[in-house]
Amino acid sequence: MLKYICKRVLFAVGSLLIITATIFLLLRLMPVEGYLGAAYEKMSPETVQILLEEKGLLDPLHVQLARFYDDLFHGDLGTSWIYRPNVKITTILAPKIPVSLTLGGLAMLLALLLGLPLGVWMSLAKGKWPDKLGTGFIVFINAVPAAVYYLFIQLYGSSAFHVSMLYKAGDVRTWILPIVCMSLGNIAYFAMWMRRFMVDQLGADYVKLAVAKGVPRGKIMSRHVFRNAFVPMIQLLPSSLLLTIMGSIYVESLFSVPGMGGLLIDVIQRQDNTMVQALVLIYACVGILGLLLGDILMSVADPRISLTGKEGAR
Amino acid sequence: MNEPILSVRSLDVRFTLRGRLLRAIRQISLDVYKGESLAIVGESGSGKSVFTKTFMGLLDQNGFIAGGEIFYGGADLAKFKTEAQWRAIRGREIAMVMQDPMTSLNPLKSVGAQITEAVALHSRLSSSAAKGAAISLLADVGITQPERRFHQYPHEFSGGMRQRVVIAIAMACRPKILICDEPTTALDVTIQAQILELIKSLKAKYDLTTIYITHDLGVVANVADRIAVMYAGDIVELGTANEVFYDPRHPYTWALLSSLPQLGVKGEELYTIQGTPPSLFAEVHGDAFAPRNPRALKVDFVARPPWFDITPTHRARTWLLDPRAPKVEPPAHIRKLREEGAKLREK
Amino acid sequence: MSLRLLRNGKAARLGDALSAETERQLATAPDLTPEEAAALDRDLFTFAEYDSEAAERTGYSNYSYWRSTMQLFWKNRTARFLVIFLGLLLLFTFVQPYLPGQYDPNLIHYDENGLIMKNLKPGESGFLFGTNKLGQDLWARIWSGTRTSLFIGFVVALSECVIGISVGVLWGYVRKLDKFFTELYNIVDNVPRTIILILISYILRPSMSTLILSMCFVGWLPMARFIRNQIVIIRDRDYNLASRCLGSSTRKIIFRNLLPYLVSVIMLRVAMAIPTAISDEVFLTYIGLGLPLATPSLGNLIIAGRVLMMTPSLRYQLIFPSVVLSIVTISFYIIGSVFADAADPKNHV
Repeated sequence: MLKYICKRVLFAVGSLLIITATIFLLLRLMPVEGYLGAAYEKMSPETVQILLEEKGLLDPLHVQLARFYDDLFHGDLGTSWIYRPNVKITTILAPKIPVSLTLGGLAMLLALLLGLPLGVWMSLAKGKWPDKLGTGFIVFINAVPAAVYYLFIQLYGSSAFHVSMLYKAGDVRTWILPIVCMSLGNIAYFAMWMRRFMVDQLGADYVKLAVAKGVPRGKIMSRHVFRNAFVPMIQLLPSSLLLTIMGSIYVESLFSVPGMGGLLIDVIQRQDNTMVQALVLIYACVGILGLLLGDILMSVADPRISLTGKEGAR
Repeated sequence: MNEPILSVRSLDVRFTLRGRLLRAIRQISLDVYKGESLAIVGESGSGKSVFTKTFMGLLDQNGFIAGGEIFYGGADLAKFKTEAQWRAIRGREIAMVMQDPMTSLNPLKSVGAQITEAVALHSRLSSSAAKGAAISLLADVGITQPERRFHQYPHEFSGGMRQRVVIAIAMACRPKILICDEPTTALDVTIQAQILELIKSLKAKYDLTTIYITHDLGVVANVADRIAVMYAGDIVELGTANEVFYDPRHPYTWALLSSLPQLGVKGEELYTIQGTPPSLFAEVHGDAFAPRNPRALKVDFVARPPWFDITPTHRARTWLLDPRAPKVEPPAHIRKLREEGAKLREK
Repeated sequence: MSLRLLRNGKAARLGDALSAETERQLATAPDLTPEEAAALDRDLFTFAEYDSEAAERTGYSNYSYWRSTMQLFWKNRTARFLVIFLGLLLLFTFVQPYLPGQYDPNLIHYDENGLIMKNLKPGESGFLFGTNKLGQDLWARIWSGTRTSLFIGFVVALSECVIGISVGVLWGYVRKLDKFFTELYNIVDNVPRTIILILISYILRPSMSTLILSMCFVGWLPMARFIRNQIVIIRDRDYNLASRCLGSSTRKIIFRNLLPYLVSVIMLRVAMAIPTAISDEVFLTYIGLGLPLATPSLGNLIIAGRVLMMTPSLRYQLIFPSVVLSIVTISFYIIGSVFADAADPKNHV
């Protein structure tokens, strides 16, 4: 099993390097002067030249890339030039990350607490009204763009619960709406998959044998069905984590949460390339790590997988 | 003769499927005697599994007993309504071994845990005592190093070993009747004999009554005292193993035995039964096998034949046994069997 | 007999499941009594004619993949309703500009005094949905926006299919390329879809074509993978090995097995791509990477409406496009998922 993990980690690192290079090179496709911000229009060509050289933007691409990797290994994500000129990106990010983590973590927790039981309930009441209602909910969440129903949650939620529409770090009540928004997608996701896995297990032969043994229904549910249905769920956790993180981009901006997601939108609008580069990199990284973690978790949880590696595309 | 341990009277089982009604069991009456080994033979879809599932209340959600009685231990199982009633029977009085050992066991639980679960259900042993019981069960079914194997997972066992585990689970509470639903179909031929021997030895050791459900006549020849031949939800012939093998009377039994490759003559075409079993959605008039029987009588399409006794232990549901029916010679292969049977009796 | 049935709880629940035919069946003829048996006509004990056709009669008729799919799909009431409803809606969307009394979506309306007729409430001065802050007819803008969003969705879906299928076929068929593509897929799959969308839109600057390009880019890969999987499955089936030994080429086999499946896959993708495309578009518009306001789309209508969210009287500018969007996306989604279930051969009778 260790071999498998090592292999996966190596592959993840490799992917990371390739993706980093791709992002870096893609961003260099943009007109180089853009790195200097809107102000560059007013500068003389000579000043522009000097500034570009200073920042190393005129060097050949592979040199720039090498420098970038080097910086990365030293934990330096670069410097912002427009958003907060000449401030190290890592400094800008530092206070924002805990905020995003807290909200994201709470959202995941809420999604698990609501989504899993909903899925179980739906599978047990298959075909009856809880199943139908749940399916309606899932359809709505999946079909209608989150961007749309978040707006309405913000609007009507704030008036219904008498909280401000915007997030304030001190007032926990303002945390509720953003967390609810971030968790909705996952509640639907968990409920849908949990239901599917439960239905699969409920029809399994070993359940029939357990019934034939004389095990009471309740114990069959808790000891066999639910346990077994939960195992494949573990594989979904990283994707759901990703869902939350991507969702946070929009939610944070909407509710003015001073986190990483809101930052991304800000810097896109201000066209600060280095910041966009750094943030995109981080998100890509999170994606890779998440999937890696999921695979490792699965191999731990399912005794059948421990000995063989999973080759090929997922 | 023994007294019957289980008595079925006019059992009628139906299923609702996509809004239509399907008659799976068409009023079967059967006695199972204590300590015997009964084999129920038939094609897929004849209703053999459904029949035995009613003894344990394991019918699918869309199935129900529309009529009849199942007498066991002084109670009528057909009238059971609650889970609690069934749980007193399942495992404790009647146990079942199912076909596919690969999927019968929970892949994420150790084998020992699954046996202990069965043990703990029907006794008040402490967990360590239950574990001990489970380990001795493993030894009973012929698994070596049971203490080590106790902790292993199903996928670490071979097919044959897994079936032994399933048998151990079934025996955990010393049931009186053991139903084996195609216990060897999913196993290699070499393992099949071992498993059958195991069940036989357990039967002897614990004074079990065994019911085998199978389509494999080879298995039947190995284990059965009595044979019940099922077709389209009804028993068409019932008798001791010798009687049914060497002196079959129902055309379907003839056809079944004739299709055994062993009976064929080298170089001849293999015998096959024409056609397919009837759809059980439709009403069946008369003898269900009639449409596939080239030697059917007109009356076979009119009314279901009653039981005709050939010997006190051998009966068949066929109009051919009615005194008014013409004399029909069974196929060549069957005649050969008759001769062999006669020879054996002389010895 | 019927009394016993009613006492049995399950039978009582059967109720409507029993048709008249089966009611009759329940009262089946019991076995003959010995007297009746003795009274049977001697003539009946002669041989009947053997009909080999009757022997085979069990009840399964010929199976057509499409017929089964369409039957299953049509059986679902919601899907049936939505197809008709959506059909009408789409018809209206494209016919709308040609109806009498419709305004151009970008036309700014002035009243008699030369003032811009901005922010008129729905129903005022003949504007069904009111006007926005520039004095443009919201009704016209919403339908124009729906057209744009649908157009984007269709184009993206079809492009995904074309590229995805081509690459997928290549990927699955040519074994040498398998390793390369698989690794490529693994790498790209790791990066969240949203990030790629943002990146491409950011680099290429927002426009209709950028939007379509970025969405296609994230969409063709899962499609290609799916096609590749199908091909590999078919290629490796045992009976195909036998078939190849007999001389029939792999290409023909793949073609024959894949084609009907392929069409339903394409239809499914188109149905599901619309809600996804609209979703992506709204998100990108919010960030500022969407379409310019001169090209109304459901996305920028909603984001523009958001600005006025706080004023209850002006909220209609957010609500109307949201409702239209929700109806469109939910309809496509449900149709898509019912169709997916119907097209799955496992669900065919």
